Amino acid sequence: MAKLYVETTPPPDLNKNTEWFMYPGVWTTYILILFFSWLLVLSVFGCTPGTAWTIVNLVHFAITYQFFHWRKGTPFAEDQGIYNNLTWWEQIDNGKQLTRNRKFLTVVPVVLYLIASHTTDYQQPMLFLNTLAVIVLVVAKFPNMHKVRIFGINADR
Amino acid sequence: MVRLPYLTALTTLFSYGLLFAFGQMRDFFRKILDLWKSKNLQGYAPICLGLEDFYTRRLYLRIQDCFNRPIASAPDAWIDVVERYSKDSNKTLHRTSKINKCLNLGSYNYLGFAAADEYCTPRVIESLKQYSPSTCSARVDGGTTKLHAELEEVVARFVRKPAAILFGMGYATNSAIIPALIGKGGLIISDSLNHNSIVNGARGSGATVRVFQHNSAAHLEEVLREQIAEGQPRTHRPWKKIIVIIEGIYSMEGELCKLPEIIAVCKKYKAYTYLDEAHSIGAIGKSGRGVCELLGVDTADMDIMMGTFTKSFGSCGGYIAASKEIIQHLKNTCPAHFYATSMSPPAAQQVISAIKVVLGEDGSNRGAQKLAQIRDNSNFFRSELHKMGFEVLGDKDSPVMPIMLYNPAKIPAFSRECLRRNLAVVTVAFPATPLLLARARICISASHTREDMIKALEVISKVGDLVGIKYFPVEPQKHLTDKIQKKLE
Repeated sequence: MAKLYVETTPPPDLNKNTEWFMYPGVWTTYILILFFSWLLVLSVFGCTPGTAWTIVNLVHFAITYQFFHWRKGTPFAEDQGIYNNLTWWEQIDNGKQLTRNRKFLTVVPVVLYLIASHTTDYQQPMLFLNTLAVIVLVVAKFPNMHKVRIFGINADR
Repeated sequence: MVRLPYLTALTTLFSYGLLFAFGQMRDFFRKILDLWKSKNLQGYAPICLGLEDFYTRRLYLRIQDCFNRPIASAPDAWIDVVERYSKDSNKTLHRTSKINKCLNLGSYNYLGFAAADEYCTPRVIESLKQYSPSTCSARVDGGTTKLHAELEEVVARFVRKPAAILFGMGYATNSAIIPALIGKGGLIISDSLNHNSIVNGARGSGATVRVFQHNSAAHLEEVLREQIAEGQPRTHRPWKKIIVIIEGIYSMEGELCKLPEIIAVCKKYKAYTYLDEAHSIGAIGKSGRGVCELLGVDTADMDIMMGTFTKSFGSCGGYIAASKEIIQHLKNTCPAHFYATSMSPPAAQQVISAIKVVLGEDGSNRGAQKLAQIRDNSNFFRSELHKMGFEVLGDKDSPVMPIMLYNPAKIPAFSRECLRRNLAVVTVAFPATPLLLARARICISASHTREDMIKALEVISKVGDLVGIKYFPVEPQKHLTDKIQKKLE
């Protein structure tokens, strides 16, 4: 395969927790990870493709909710805790809403939902779980939900 | 501008994702297992939350043996590295008494003053006997010796500014001076790849900090225009003063700063300029006077020039050179002048002698020889690395050359394989560099001979093949012209 090269200038984002998301190749890696995990689930459980997509969708929901919308702060101490009240979703792009990265990350759960519900033929227990997952994820990514903590859940320590 | 193969970008992101996932799983199980263990905190809060040091515990500690290596000799062209072993997969390391003599490509020994020098060392020993290792006092109390006064004059003359002030530590120079120069109501615009000491100083000053894209005079102009138009946050009053902070050679990139364009922009908008020449003073320029001499910028156009003595002069400490009024103001306000212990007298004597050698005032032409040697060495090494197919950053004449590694697993692989072949290199990863751009940073010295460099190149080539970092293997000539075109853009 001919070698494809990409060029990048380091982006002026000071938050080391989120600046890695501005590099080329991130979106492709995300999509490839989802695709390969679907193959993995299919080979391990030997279930129907639709069930495999449902499993991928639900695990994706759990993981992205935990890391994007639940955990706050950064995994290093050098920034002296200035982001300790912000989840990863609130930190990316310096808090600017409706950037390309944010739009991409909002579209991914919806596309996963469409694939999962289509391949399961919209049958009941799976459809309900998939719908729940996509509603929670998309609502959490709305610009109006920036720094909102419903009923004080996950507010400051 | 960094070029990397697309597949490498994908695999690097995937590897970091995998490392992150494993770290999270281990933390999860650790939390479960710790539920059984009793916590003997006795009501005190834990010092650090489990989330904050995740990176240190789960990623850095795995490859801890590549960093913090103890040495057992002066950091000359050849250096003695102490061997260490670990019984619990790198969580704790134990020193042995065995020593490896390695070729030193990691020390900032640009002019070769790190080891004993025939002019400097006898004078340093004499000053050690006369003045003792420490002044045991701050500058303002009893810590100003004749050597300090002489060194300030010598530094001011060397850098071509009216006056200078010294401090005992290079990092402390930046982090203590910037708060003394600017406070709340001021604006600091700093390059996005500035050193941590500048970032700390800027944060400690209380001024508003904005960042401009690395080395981009166009973006600096955009930021300046936007900030001057908006004024201070909330009140929109005009800024009290604006300081633009840049570095001479960026130590992680090996790049020179685009000084003439940036100075032109700053003059247009009447912003002060602060140049940090930690790596460039003494190492570049026809007579070693740093990046201003190399790029033909008049030093009267730079408001404040800062530098350190650790890199080219083989000593320790930092200086600020500026106009007489600024230096007098700093002597009256800077806390590092009032409370920090002054520079050690033998260290000051080392710098005085080193500058005399560089300027040729010791009666020989060793200074000019050293400067020519480091220039030739850097250019030779860089061009050979390019020919072998490595991705090497940095401009021509710069003695710092990072070799890009990218994947996280290649960092310890490169470091350990080189150490096994008696080559000591420094590898740098996240968070000192951006996530995708891990690198091995080579610092060339004037004390490296041609044979040393050829041996180093052989080892690096072999290790590069083993580890797989020769990203531009075919037609190196074509890629060299591509890179030159990109630099001209």
